[in-house]
Amino acid sequence: MAAQGRIVWVSGPAVKADGMSDAKMYETVVVGEAKLVGEVIRLTGDVAFIQVYESTSGLKPGEPVVGTGNPLSVLLGPGIIGQLYDGIQRPLRELSKASGSFIGRGITTTPVDMAKKYHFVPSVSVGDEVAAGNVIGTVQETDLIDHSIMVPPDHPGGRIASVVPEGDYDLEVELATVESAAGGGGDDGGSNSAPAEPLRMYHRWPVRKPRPYKDRYDPTVPLLTGQRVIDTFFPIAKGGTGSIPGAFGTGKTVTLHQIAKWADSQVVVYIGCGERGNEMTEVLVEFPHLTDPRSGKPLMDRTVLVANTSNMPVAAREASIYTGVTIAEYYRDMGKDVVLVADSTSRWAEALREMSGRLEEMPAEEGYPSYLASRLAEFYERAGRVRAAGSPDRDGSVTLVGAVSPSGGDFTEPVTTHTMRFIKTFWALDAKLAYSRHYPSINWMNSYSGYLADIAKWWGQNVSEDWLDLRSDAYGILQREDTLKEIVRLLGPEALPDEEKLILEVARMIKIGLLQQNSFDDVDTYCSPDKQYRLLKMLVEFYKRGQTALKEGAGLADIRAMPIIGSLLKARMEIKDEETQKLDQLGAQMAEQFQGITGVKVPS
Amino acid sequence: MSGSEAAAAAASKGGVQYSKIAEIKGPLVIVDDVENAAFDELVEVETRDGEKRLGKVLEVGNGKAIVQVFEGTTGLSVSGTNAKFVGKVMEMPVSREVLGRVFDGLGRPKDGLPDPIADRFIDINGEPMNPEQREYPKDFIQTGVSVIDGMITLVRGQKLPIFSGSGMSHNLLAAQIARQAAVVGTDDEFAVVFAAIGVQYSEAEYFKRSLEESGALKRSVLFLNLADDPAIERIITPRVALTVAEYLAFDLGMHVLVILTDMTNYAEALREISAAREEVPGRKGYPGYLYTDLSTIYERAGKLVGKKGSVTQVPILSMPSDDITHPIPDLTGYITEGQIVLGRDLFRQGVYPPVNILMSLSRLMKDGIGEGSTREDHGEISNQNYDAYSRAQEVRALAGIVGKAGLTEIDLKYMGVGDIFEKEFLSQSIDENRNVEETLSILWKVVSQLPKNELTKVKDKYMDQYYQGTD
Amino acid sequence: MTASGPVAQLEQTIDKIIRQTEEEILSGMESAAGQSSQALDDAIPALEQEYEKIIADGRKEADKISRQIVGSADLEVRNRQLLALEDAVDGVFVRALEEVAAADRNGADYAALMRSLLAEAVSVLGSSDVVVHASAQDRDAVQGILSSDYAGAELAPEPLGCMGGVRIQSKDGAMTFDNTLDARIERLKPLIRKGIASKFGAGN
Repeated sequence: MAAQGRIVWVSGPAVKADGMSDAKMYETVVVGEAKLVGEVIRLTGDVAFIQVYESTSGLKPGEPVVGTGNPLSVLLGPGIIGQLYDGIQRPLRELSKASGSFIGRGITTTPVDMAKKYHFVPSVSVGDEVAAGNVIGTVQETDLIDHSIMVPPDHPGGRIASVVPEGDYDLEVELATVESAAGGGGDDGGSNSAPAEPLRMYHRWPVRKPRPYKDRYDPTVPLLTGQRVIDTFFPIAKGGTGSIPGAFGTGKTVTLHQIAKWADSQVVVYIGCGERGNEMTEVLVEFPHLTDPRSGKPLMDRTVLVANTSNMPVAAREASIYTGVTIAEYYRDMGKDVVLVADSTSRWAEALREMSGRLEEMPAEEGYPSYLASRLAEFYERAGRVRAAGSPDRDGSVTLVGAVSPSGGDFTEPVTTHTMRFIKTFWALDAKLAYSRHYPSINWMNSYSGYLADIAKWWGQNVSEDWLDLRSDAYGILQREDTLKEIVRLLGPEALPDEEKLILEVARMIKIGLLQQNSFDDVDTYCSPDKQYRLLKMLVEFYKRGQTALKEGAGLADIRAMPIIGSLLKARMEIKDEETQKLDQLGAQMAEQFQGITGVKVPS
Repeated sequence: MSGSEAAAAAASKGGVQYSKIAEIKGPLVIVDDVENAAFDELVEVETRDGEKRLGKVLEVGNGKAIVQVFEGTTGLSVSGTNAKFVGKVMEMPVSREVLGRVFDGLGRPKDGLPDPIADRFIDINGEPMNPEQREYPKDFIQTGVSVIDGMITLVRGQKLPIFSGSGMSHNLLAAQIARQAAVVGTDDEFAVVFAAIGVQYSEAEYFKRSLEESGALKRSVLFLNLADDPAIERIITPRVALTVAEYLAFDLGMHVLVILTDMTNYAEALREISAAREEVPGRKGYPGYLYTDLSTIYERAGKLVGKKGSVTQVPILSMPSDDITHPIPDLTGYITEGQIVLGRDLFRQGVYPPVNILMSLSRLMKDGIGEGSTREDHGEISNQNYDAYSRAQEVRALAGIVGKAGLTEIDLKYMGVGDIFEKEFLSQSIDENRNVEETLSILWKVVSQLPKNELTKVKDKYMDQYYQGTD
Repeated sequence: MTASGPVAQLEQTIDKIIRQTEEEILSGMESAAGQSSQALDDAIPALEQEYEKIIADGRKEADKISRQIVGSADLEVRNRQLLALEDAVDGVFVRALEEVAAADRNGADYAALMRSLLAEAVSVLGSSDVVVHASAQDRDAVQGILSSDYAGAELAPEPLGCMGGVRIQSKDGAMTFDNTLDARIERLKPLIRKGIASKFGAGN
């Protein structure tokens, strides 16, 4: 029975209602005469504490509150890809039809177009036994997404009693009916084999409950992002977790957009959680015009956006993270690699803090609730590379990348420190680098990747054997430079011997030619693994040749004056991925010019 | 019109007046035995002497309403004070006639003229723009200030704050932007909305005079909450100003530039209320929801699909102790689309505008510049200047320790770049209006002090065309 | 030895010094003259520049002043219009109020109006256990309605200074709802003003 109560207290997004003894925790409720959506987050006697997902302006004590009986859920089915949702899966395009340019309240819509027809190809026949998670057929959702229709994870399964033939159906059509085996065997004749819920193209799933899977694997395959500092230096694995903390202006959002654009996954879920409205608009405007470098199709055909911008109601911001990750798990269950990008988990944590404050809970550090760490852990635990439940066998992954916006850029604040406990790749953005326009401003001394060892195998097998050695050499140069910089700071660069000045020089070249990447440049925005490898190799080779040249009597000034340096540093912008012969030419020129300054003949 | 009928119905109903005041603390009045009040509702508080003050409901329930009084609680007493719940949220009457008008911090006339005859009454809190209905801002605004046009480009619909410190020349800069950006406007109508939030009379007056001298006053709306006006009123001032701006932009199709000064005073008013409510404070005593609250102001900038106008915001805030990590600039920076940071050192050296470009940024610049809007080399030459100036700063710091003798030849060249950048590019007089061509050509002149090999951010084809060096 | 030797020597020396000084002075004067004529020459372009700058500044200033004057004049005209309109609106308003005050209070319409105003007020307060204030002219009519419909309500002893309608108060005095015609007109004033102004062809 649905609860029927009355509002007794209102303060911002928090509402108390009495007469709610029938309400359940995390049940969705309809609040007030304006029919606002809310969720029960605490029950005390018959008083329910409700967080309201819409503006409560004008709400009065005495207005009704009605329970729906269901926890906050998302609708999962074809039509999700390409959508822009708010934090509780309401399509913003549909909302604008109801309320124009600004977001109105109390509007109900369905998350996808229920009347749209998809071409369904069944993969089961009458008499087949199916269990939760089994694929019963597929539809083509977009050019890029073939969408598996699965038996919902909470479905008892059983024998297929009927199934529709291949054809075009909308979402509400019963595609198949199932006779539950566990139904009690039909001893009473009439009420035999209590028919299980018929299977449609969609089902609902509560957002706060992880979707089940069969098995879990170690993440060992890199998620290639086309961003050199990530792929080459601090890689993340498919099914892994990563965090990108940084003060404002350090380029968090641009980096996340780059990952969303270029990551080699089949589905991208982008959550704008308490961030700028224009950033979501940018994705909406830009993605349909960008093509996936692998399939040549518009990037929007694989992207779902969940937007709860900073000025939208704060409670829905808290929900948006769960809405997004549940959608990601759903596509994972089809056997797809999914990347979820959350910008920013700090705003989500602040939403928790705000509701916790209204609940008058005892605050822990900086006013955040004591359960902040466990909530973060639960969220990042929903990442992983898994074998989906049911047959046929499908392996999919959810990679979670969360931005953190530490106040004052201080990495010791609670959200950053707790996040670091639960993630394995850490891309530390650095305001100093950003101020000098070194983008992406990922600090190479403070960042790390826990996946490097596993991922190195992939590079060794797929790109080149010596990848890990080259990466270590390059990283070594950067580390040496970091130490030498201290000396330079005290004594000036002229105090160093030429060999060490060469390290400074090459480190500068690695920074400009490899670590920096201009996401607004048509060529530089994405860099193939092969080009990454070649650039890395040439820079390391430059260092080695430079050392030799110095030993053979060349001066540092000679090295610095070589015109090849300019070309090497601009190669990332001037040479396209497929123009490998131009990169080879650069290598040859480099050899020649070194030869020129040492006068030593190198057999060609 | 059904909207106005609904408004008439709501207005005629009026509200109940309650006289049982339980408590008065700080800016809050707590009213007991309240039966029929809504969250956010407008309240008229009447003192014993019949003086009326405005407030709004912060919390209501269990027979109690917490009312925040904008004009302060000084002189209120527990007995003899009445609170009338008006039956609607706070609204601002708007019409084209608000142009050329001066209002107080709550949106009431301050120029001796009658209330504007309203075309509409609009809830001052506004509603969030649907991100799906936003149009991505990309129209270049020529401010005529080289450092902004060249390095921190402003576009229509952007929110780009000026982070300043006490006593620095932010007002001169904001007024110059308002004057020059307004004058360039072609056929499209423009308007300036200026909200003074707890600033001194002289600052507001400077701004007004500056608009007057450029003939733009008749296209401007001024909201003045001055330093000696009630502090809590400052919660409302930016909201009434933005309500008017949205109306001018999206109902009347104007390009509106909104200047809010000083947002630090706004945040302090918010902190005062939070303290009175005994909320758990976040950093430095500011409420935990400061970010969300600021966003409900700053996010009211933008362009909308199918609407002609735009709202561009230039909020000004003074950083306490020039500290950019202080919660007010920090949270602002996370919401706004970049920031213009004024530097104390440059200001002391007498540079105007004293913009610290390394800490400054315009996030929307990339889409507002380039071929078809400014010039194709704009992005790269700007990057190159950032790079060079940043090197110049490093070298200057080094020279301070090891002396010029310890520097390499190339380091010395970078020092020269820093000097020219500040003297010729950054410095500009307050009535000098440079077009973007001039601005870009100075940028090329600056980096042409360096040998070609150093210019790694510029494509060769632009080098051939614009590089003026001898190398 | 005559004294002529050393004296002549001395005189020669003195002559020499005088000549030298003279030369120095002369050449000094020459160079000074040269310098000053040079300075003068140099100064001319600077002066011309200065002159042009003054002219340009003057022009700028004149521009500024003309923009300012034109802008201010436009604004001044507009503001006078606003004031004139407000006067007109006020005039209409005052006349309308006079008509309301002088309206016939004996008809069935007026009784129905009083009845509905009272009913609305009671419903807003959520209680009929109230004290009702009314104007001297309306007291009898209100008393009639109270005794027939609202047993718990009582009429306040002293009359209320208003045009008509009622103001009701809970008996403990904590809640008041003003439903006099005066209060209702005041609440509607912004909308009425707009209506009147549009009759004058103003407003949007």
